[in-house]
Amino acid sequence: KQQTTNTVEEPLDLIRLSLDERIYVKMRNDRELRGRLHAYDQHLNMILGDVEETVTTIEIDEETYEEIYKSTKRNIPMLFVRGDGVVLVAPPLRVG
Amino acid sequence: MEVSHSLKERTIAENSLVILLQGLRGRVTTVELRDESAAAGRVTGVDAFMNVRLAEVTFTDRRGAMSHLDELFVTGRNIRYVHIPDEVDIRATIEEQLRAIHRVRYFGGRDKGRREFPHTQH
Repeated sequence: KQQTTNTVEEPLDLIRLSLDERIYVKMRNDRELRGRLHAYDQHLNMILGDVEETVTTIEIDEETYEEIYKSTKRNIPMLFVRGDGVVLVAPPLRVG
Repeated sequence: MEVSHSLKERTIAENSLVILLQGLRGRVTTVELRDESAAAGRVTGVDAFMNVRLAEVTFTDRRGAMSHLDELFVTGRNIRYVHIPDEVDIRATIEEQLRAIHRVRYFGGRDKGRREFPHTQH
């Protein structure tokens, strides 16, 4: 039988502290998610509610060669995220 | 409620969130793939490795071109997201799947049949 403890013993326990809270997830391929963490597992598969996904792309201006950062956002009510795409999990970033 | 015939797969499913995806069998959802394509269809099966079978699929490729497929098999590794339909009760779905696994495990009663974990005392 699996037992849950209240102490923080390993890094995954830090994610447990964020259950039911809004979190920030950085993913591979320049994606970011912001949503409410409903569930997670040891692979970092997650279920997020009220999610906003941000995809950032870099376009190079053909004449000036400057980098133009563009981001596309969309909202999804409930999302299952496969853990192997997750890079980091954190409380929501505050834009200062 | 269909449960895998493999002990290994039942155990893997029981200990990860894939069990929720297995509970989506029969529901229409969208699976987004790693390569930016997407498949919208009815889930006919999910195994412990997150391989997904869909039926009556509208497949949108990376460029946005849409096509229709009667059946589609997506390897677990290629999945990025699975949309969970609004009407799905996540907790209830997981509990139902776990009950199905436990029914298989404890089939025949406490003292009968070949037991999955012979030395466990509950």
